[in-house]
This record gives sequence, structure tokens and C-alpha cells, in this order.
Amino acid sequence: MSGFFDRLRRRWSDVELLPVQQQRLAAWRSQQDEDLRRPFAEARYVVVDVESTGLNLQKDRLIAIGAVAVVGGRIDLAQSFEVILRQDQASSRANILIHGISGEAQREGLMPADALLDFLEFMGASPLIAFHVTFDRTLIARALRDHLGLNFSHPWLDLAYLMPGILPQWRHKYRSLDDWTSHFEIGNFSRHSALADALATAQLLLVALPLAKDAHSKHYRSLQDLEQSYCWATQQN
Amino acid sequence: MVGSNSLIDATTQHLSRFAPFDKMAEADLLWLANHLSLAYYHKGEVLLAPSDGPSERILIIKQGRVVGESGEAIWLELHEGEAFPIGAVLSGRPVVSTFRAQGDVFAYELDADDFRSLLQRSQPFARFCTERIANLLDQSQRSIQAVYAASSNERQSMHSPLSSLARRAPVTCAPETPLGEALQMIQVQKISAIVVANEALHPLGVFSVRDLIGRVILPGLPLSTPIRAVMTPDPMTLPPSAHAFEAALLMAKHGFRHVLVAEQGRVTGVISEKDLFSLQRIGVTQISAAIRSAICIEDLKHFAEDIRQLGHNLLAQGLGSEQLTQIISILNDLLTQRVIEIECGEGYPYRFCWLAFGSEGRLEQTLSTDQDNGLIFIPVDGVELETIRNHLLALAERINRALDACGFPLCQGQVMASNPNWCLTLDEWKATFANWIDSGAPDALLNASIFFDFRPLIGEELLAVELRAWLVAYARNAPRFLHQMAANALRNRPPLGLVRDFVVTSDSGEHPATLDLKLNGTTPFVDAARIFALTVGSDASGTAARLRAAAGPLNIATTEVEAWISSFFFLQLLRLRRQHEENLAGETMDNHINPDQLNDLDRRILKESFRQARKIQSRLSLDYRV
Repeated sequence: MSGFFDRLRRRWSDVELLPVQQQRLAAWRSQQDEDLRRPFAEARYVVVDVESTGLNLQKDRLIAIGAVAVVGGRIDLAQSFEVILRQDQASSRANILIHGISGEAQREGLMPADALLDFLEFMGASPLIAFHVTFDRTLIARALRDHLGLNFSHPWLDLAYLMPGILPQWRHKYRSLDDWTSHFEIGNFSRHSALADALATAQLLLVALPLAKDAHSKHYRSLQDLEQSYCWATQQN
Repeated sequence: MVGSNSLIDATTQHLSRFAPFDKMAEADLLWLANHLSLAYYHKGEVLLAPSDGPSERILIIKQGRVVGESGEAIWLELHEGEAFPIGAVLSGRPVVSTFRAQGDVFAYELDADDFRSLLQRSQPFARFCTERIANLLDQSQRSIQAVYAASSNERQSMHSPLSSLARRAPVTCAPETPLGEALQMIQVQKISAIVVANEALHPLGVFSVRDLIGRVILPGLPLSTPIRAVMTPDPMTLPPSAHAFEAALLMAKHGFRHVLVAEQGRVTGVISEKDLFSLQRIGVTQISAAIRSAICIEDLKHFAEDIRQLGHNLLAQGLGSEQLTQIISILNDLLTQRVIEIECGEGYPYRFCWLAFGSEGRLEQTLSTDQDNGLIFIPVDGVELETIRNHLLALAERINRALDACGFPLCQGQVMASNPNWCLTLDEWKATFANWIDSGAPDALLNASIFFDFRPLIGEELLAVELRAWLVAYARNAPRFLHQMAANALRNRPPLGLVRDFVVTSDSGEHPATLDLKLNGTTPFVDAARIFALTVGSDASGTAARLRAAAGPLNIATTEVEAWISSFFFLQLLRLRRQHEENLAGETMDNHINPDQLNDLDRRILKESFRQARKIQSRLSLDYRV
């Protein structure tokens, strides 16, 4: 156990932050945890999507984060966020063709520490929501660890599990974000751009909230319960 | 906070596909996008209801379809890009109807306070919100002109003021000027007409090159003759602010080729037919002059076609439907009058008045029209009524056939003067009308809707005036009949709602998936206007004039009446454009339109116009307790 902490400590000490960055990080850390039992109508959630250099969770890097805030059950357009993290080396041509962030744009992105601090400040204490959380969570957590030395243990909710949990009749038919958004005719102004996908995911969340309410779910915590019970049920099958 | 990112950009781009956002400054649109939130409504969910209290937000549909319900009925449909409830938020009152999602709906929402800030910021937005229908119509008219201007060299609008057309000072001469001198001036100045004026530049007459043969050369007058002896005296004048179409109407009515522009009695310009129709093969005065000079029916053949062609050209110049239908009707009148004069010949023994019914009676003829006519004749002492009638029926038969030959098809419903039922004395007409009014039977109501729009074309016009006065007095005292007319008019509902946004005909049948712009579009306005006019005792014959005449006595707000009139003329314009397109494509002209083939703006005005048709009908149903 002590070896694990040693490793962590060593990593943190590897990260050198400017004083202003340290201040920003400290300010973010010092905020109170969000009450996850706040009713939908009063809560703020942040729906997030990322773009990366590839699909290999072990070695691929985070290129961009897109996020929108859902406040009281509505998407506040002004509270939308997108950032490109500066890459020393641009991703492959095939990868660029997917998300459309050119090599030049990658090299001209924000310094990763600043980009990630912007993201943390945009997010605040609000719990996160994504579609296929594992991917977004892994890339964001690793970037935060590498660039800010932060051990990121924020609450996440996965719409990929929540949707079939509240609409079990579609669980065999729909798996991807495209499946679900096309079912509800949710458009996407630019598929595979982080912010556009985050918006589509957030619109899917807006569809899910009243349905969850019908299933007596009133807040984030109970949505997590719905998600968990769906995971559990699928593992039993 | 006003920021921009790809989401805000995508939102402004999306909005700018729709009016009024397409007219807003980029900065204001950006401001708007930064103040929007996006909400979701599931199928069947109520977005707004009267019981919510004063409306606190404006919704703009991002995706999906919303309907407005009033009781059981759906009276309005809203689509992507449409904002509502503007009226309710502007006046801080609750919505009148219940707005319900027809499927999954995503809507941008703007707080009432932000909405009011935007009204302050953006003039195009404020104008749109406060003058919705007028503004939409204006945009549509401009886009029509843009389309046609691109396809034709004729860029000048019939709405231009005359001051912009009369480019040079008029060439004038004194009344005593010798003819030779005046002709010299015409030659040097390269003009087609000279104005004869006194020292104060008060116009006394006009002399045109075309007058030369008939008035000078053939009579063999010397060039020393003073010009006043050969000029056309007392010329018609219009003020510089008058529109080009008014000059066109004047030329058409009187067969002039020149109209003088005068301000405070001083002549300031000359407008020639060439100025108005410089690039046109067929002009208003060419047609009217040719009709006037025709001496046999053979000469008049094809003129109906020429009139229609002129209508197409004027439409292409962006002339409004009100003026266009008037010009067409006036030229059709001329043609009919000339046909009647030719068929009667010299010294026709009986006196009568030829009547036009239906759209011709209202001066609202479109490019596709058939005959609707009848006559009133004066009995002669000592001659059997039937003898006179038979004589007139034979004449009317010839006239109807001649009109058919000229391009006005015979009326399939036999509403023609050659039908003994519509060839009557004044007393017989009164008895017939009284009978309809007293009975209120379905066919009586139908007849009333055609015949009560009568207008005298030629002959003893006083007969028609007397019949009108009698009808106005008789119908006013027949509330039961007016109630029946209203009930009958309300059977024909504007096609809003139900299937997608418009109710169209079934996919099979003669006109698949179309709207009937006449039956469902203009007819509700025409019917309501007729009933209102009868109620207030107005003798106006056009739909717009009737509505304006009834507004005061019936306590209808001017803005409301003007919205009805704008809608009516927009629907007329769509009919004309449809007929124009069918004509170009060599198809039969009709009134069927496929709303999917309209551009976005026109679809929305069409919907707004149908909405106005609903409104005029609610007014009818309220006033006559139907």
C-alpha cells in the first residue's frame, strides 16, 4: 500500500505547475462536494465528450474536450465549453479525418494544464455525464494526473447504461450514441467534434430525465442506481 | 456573457436559415444564442397553456412540430425555426391556446426579459415581432422581384413613383405655336409627344406623333395651324408621387399613350407607355387601343390571351396582386364591352345593362377565368316581355359565343346572359334576389355568393345601381339570411393542421397532395367580406373595399382588417404565380398548389394567411352566432 502512495507522490512531484496554476487548482479543490440528491429541476450536470489520438485507452492521448451544462433540465447554450489540448506531435492522418482537428490546430491548442484547469473550472462541482463513460473518464483522468498531478475521483454517470435501463424494450436494438440519437431524431451539427457530440448526448439526457422521473428517479444518485441495476442485470444474463 | 464556440456558431447558423434571424446583425444573433437554453418536450406534452398565467418565455423550435389547440380543434402548426408566443409575451398575457408537442420536440427558449432586451437591440427582430404579417409579405414580394429580375431585363417596378420614371423635363410649347415649329421640337428633342402649356406651365393639351396622320396629314392641315387646334385637350395628370401602375391603369382605362406628371398644376414630366413597358412586347395601352379599334369579333380573337400574357409580364415585374387583378379585370371589361358593342351594332332596339358576376364583378380576376354574366333589361310599353327577352337571349347567345371565341370559356354552371334565368327585368331580378334571401335554401345561398357580386359593364348602368341600392336595403333587414350565409361560409374551412402542416388532398385523385388556393384560401375572405358588406349596407364590390367599409361600423380594428386584406392578396398572388408557372409549362391553369414546393418564407406566409382566414371566420361565427 505504501508503495502505491510513493508512486503517486512521485508522479505529483513530477508535475511542475506555475503559481497561478497552483492557485487555480487549489481553488477548484477547495469547493464543496455537490449534493447528488438535488432534484433535477435544481441541479447542474456537465455532459462531456472527448476526442483522442485513437481508441487505445492505454496509450492514446486526449486531444479535445467538449462539454455542456444541463441546468434545471435545460441545456444552457452559453454554458458550453470546448478546448483543444496542445499536442507536441499531431495525431495520425486517419485520426484527424475522424475528429477534424487538424495537425496545426493540435499544435496551436492550449497548454494542457491550462486547458484542463479551464475544464475543471467550467465543471465546478457538478457531476459528470457521458455516453460510454470508460473512455472519457480514463482519458480525462490520465490527462489530469499527468498534467495537473490530480487524482480525479469525480462522480460519473453513463448514458450508455442509463438509456437501456429506463427503456429496456430498446436495449437489444440500440447500443451506440448514434442509435439512440437517431431514434429521438436528435441532430448533430458536427459528429465527432467533442462539443457537438456532448450536445447530442445532453439532448439525449433531456429525453431521459422525464422518463427517469416516471421511474421514480428524482436525482443524480438515483440515476446512478438505475445505471448500476442495469449493469448488474446484464451481467446476470 | 457573450462568447462563441462551435456550438454557439452552429446555433446562429441554424437560426439564420429562418426569418427574422436571417435579417439580424451577427452580433445580435450571437447575443441571442448566448441567452438561449435548449429544452425537450416529449410527444403530447404541453409546452404552454392559458392556465400558465402571463407568458414568460419565447420558444423557437429547433426540431419537431408543435400544434396550437383551441378546444378540440388544432388551429395552428409550428415548425423548425418558428418563434412563439410572440403576441402573448409582447403584451404580457397568457397564451390563448394550448401548445402541444406533436412528437419529440427540442426548443430554444428565451426569457421574456431577454426577449425584451433583444427587441431593443435588434431592429429587424423588433419589426418582425410587431409587424409580422406585413413584414413577411414584404420579404416575399421582394424575393419574387429578385427572382424575376434575374430572369428578365425588366428591373423596373410598377411600384416606382412616377418622379423616378420621368427622367427629363417635359418639352412644352405655347398653344399658339405653329404646328411646324412644334414638330420641329419633337424631331430635335427625339420625343414622341409634346405638352401644350400656358406660361405658368399649366398643361392644356398633348400632341403625339401618332396624332399626326389622323389629325394633320389626312385632313391636309397647313403646318402654320396653331397646335391647340390639333392637340388632345384637357390631359389627365398624376402627381409625381403616384405609382407607375396608376399611370398604367389610366392609360388602360382611357386609351392614352401618355400621362402627364404635374405638381400643383405645373407639368413636371411626361410618362409614355414606353417608359412603363419599355421592354415589353405587349403593353396595357397597346392592348386597350387595339380592342377599342376592333371592328369585328375576328379582330378581338386572341386578345384574352394577350391580356393574360400582359398579366404574366406584369407579374414578372413584381406588380402586386391587387393592382394586377384590377388591370386584368379592366382589360377584360374593355374586351367584353367591345364584343357587346360589335354584336349590338348600330341602333339596337332594346335597352339593357350587361352585368358581370363573381370575380369579374369584384374586379378580382386572375389569369384563368371563365364567363359569369347576365343582364337587366327595360320593358317597353306595348311589347310583350317575352318578345324582348327572346330577342335579348339571342343577342346574349351571340355575345357569349363571341366571348368564348375571344378566350373566355363558357360558364359550365350556365351563369350567362343567354340563360333565361339571368336575362331579367329589374323587377324580376329583385323578385329573384328576394326569393333567395327569404328562402335561404342551399342553392339560394350559393347563387347569392355569385350574383350578389354583380357589377355593371355596359349599357344602362343606372339599372344596376338601383338594383344594388335595393339589395343593400333588403338584405340589411334579413338577419336570418345573413346568419345562413355565415353558416354556409363557415362550412369551408382553411386547410391548416392535421396532416403535417397543411391539410392537402389525398395522394390519389386529380390533384394529389395539393391545396386549393381558391376554395380554401381566398374564398373564406371573399365570403366574409360579402356578408360584412351586406350587414353594414355597403355597396363596395371588391373584397378589400368591402372589408375596409365594414371595419368602422362593425368595430373591427384597422390592423386586423389590414392583416386580412394582406393575406387575401397574398393568396391571390400565389394563385397568379401558380397560374403563371402552369402557363409557362404549357399546363392547364388551376388553383392547386403543393405547399412542399413553396420556399420556406412563402410557406410561412401561406400558413399565416390561412391563420388569418381562420380569424376572419371566427369573427363571422361570433357575429352571426354560428
